[in-house]
Amino acid sequence: MNGSSIYPHILRFIGLVALQSLLLNQMTLSVGPYFNVLLYPLFILFLPLQMPTPYLILLGFTVGMAVDATVPSWGVHASAGAFSGFIRSLAFLPFAPKGGFSPKDPIFAPAHMGWQTFINGTALFMAAHIFWYFSFSYFAPVFAGEILKKTLAAWLLTMLFVALYAMMFNPKK
Amino acid sequence: MGRLLQLLLRNGGFVTFLLVELGCFAIMVNFNGRQGEIWANTTGIFGGRALEKRQMASDYFSLYETADSLAHVVDSLQARLSNARQMQVPVRDTFFLVNYDSLSKTDSVRRKTVRPQYGFITAKAIKNSISGANNWVIINRGTHDGIQPDMAVVSPAGIVGIVRHVSSNFSLVMSVLHQQAKISVSLPNQKNAFGSLTWEGGNPSQMTLRYIPQHFVVKENEPVVTSGYSLMFPQGHPVGTVIGVPKADPENPYFLEISVKLSQDMSTVRDVAVVYNLFGPELDSLQLKISSNER
Repeated sequence: MNGSSIYPHILRFIGLVALQSLLLNQMTLSVGPYFNVLLYPLFILFLPLQMPTPYLILLGFTVGMAVDATVPSWGVHASAGAFSGFIRSLAFLPFAPKGGFSPKDPIFAPAHMGWQTFINGTALFMAAHIFWYFSFSYFAPVFAGEILKKTLAAWLLTMLFVALYAMMFNPKK
Repeated sequence: MGRLLQLLLRNGGFVTFLLVELGCFAIMVNFNGRQGEIWANTTGIFGGRALEKRQMASDYFSLYETADSLAHVVDSLQARLSNARQMQVPVRDTFFLVNYDSLSKTDSVRRKTVRPQYGFITAKAIKNSISGANNWVIINRGTHDGIQPDMAVVSPAGIVGIVRHVSSNFSLVMSVLHQQAKISVSLPNQKNAFGSLTWEGGNPSQMTLRYIPQHFVVKENEPVVTSGYSLMFPQGHPVGTVIGVPKADPENPYFLEISVKLSQDMSTVRDVAVVYNLFGPELDSLQLKISSNER
C-alpha cells in the first residue's frame, strides 16, 4: 500500500465512523431497538485484498474502538471489528476465482468482483460480524433468541445500506 | 514493543486475533456495566460451585476424623446424661435435680456430692456371637485406650455386656447373652424395684428378671433400666421392656419371674461405649473390706 493509496482508506475510516456514530446509531435510538445498521465494517471489507490478516485484525479493532468511543460500548464493537478482520479472507474464500484473487484486484468491490460476488461475499461477512457484535452486546446465552432476531433484522437493513453505499461511492481502491 | 508486534504478525492471524479478543474481553467486562455484571455473576456461580466441589472432596477425605470427633461428642454426651442421673441429691432436706455444670466452682460441698461418677470410651464391636450357650463380643479398644476388666459395655439402645479380658488393642466382652452374666436392673415404674437379669439360653432377644418381690404389680411393656447398684452400669440406662404377664418364680415363690425383651438387638451390635466408674478403685477397696469382715 503506497502513500497515495492509503488516503481512500483513511477517508473511509473517518467517514464510516462518523456516519455510524452521528447518523446510524442515532437512528437506532429514535426508530427502535430492532433498527440497527452497522456500516463501519465496510472499512475492513474494503481494505486491500493482499493485506495480511494480523493487520486486518488490528485495523478492525481500531475502527471498532473508534465507534465504541462514541456510543460508548467499550470493547464490543472493537471485538466485532477484530473478528471481522480475522474472518474476512474466510468469508471471501467461497467467492474467490480459481487460483485466488489477483493482485490486480486491489479491494473486494463490485467494480472488480461484479455485483453478485460482492453481495454474496459481503452478506456472509456482515452476517458473521453482526452476530458476533450482538452476542457480545448481550453477553449471555439466555438472550440467544433476542440475539438471533436482532442479527437477522440488522443484517437485512445493513445489506440494504451496503448496496446503497456501493452504488453511491462505487469504491475502486 | 516493535519486535513483539513483528513476532505477532509473523506468527499469523490466529494468535493476534486471540490476543486482541482477550484485550477486548477485558475492556468489555471492566468498562461496561452490563457485561461486567454478567461476568461477575458467572464467575461467582462457577467459583462457588468449584469451591463447593472442593469442600465436598475435602469433607469426604476427612470423614474418618469427623466420625472420630463425633464419637468423642457421643462419649461426652453419654457421660453427661448418665451423670445427670446421679445428681438427684438432698439439698436442705428437699430433693432437687442439680445440673453439675451449673454448680459454682467454689461450692465444694455440693460439687463433691454431685460429682460425675462415670466416663465413657466409644468402641466398635468387631466380632459378635448370639447363637452359642455363652456368647462373646470383641471390641476394638484395649489397655492402650484405658479399658480394664469388669467395665460395662453399653450401646445407645441398651446394654451389651461386661469386659472380661483385655489385650493392648482389643477387649473380650462377656455378652449379656452369657449364662454367667447377671445384670442388676430396676423397674422405674415400680419405685425402682430392683432385681437380677440373666439369660437362660434360646431366644437372643429375651432375658429373665428375677428377685422382684411378689407384691409389685408389674405390667406388660413396663420399662426395665439398669439399677446402678452393680457399680459397673450407670443408673437408668435402658435395658428393655417387660413382655407377657409376670408369674411366680418356681424356684423362689416369694419373687416374680419376668420376661424382658431387650431394647438392643444383640445381632446388630456395632457402636458401643465402655463405661468406667470414676470411683471404681475406691468402691472396690470398700467391697474388699466387706468380704474380709465376712470371712
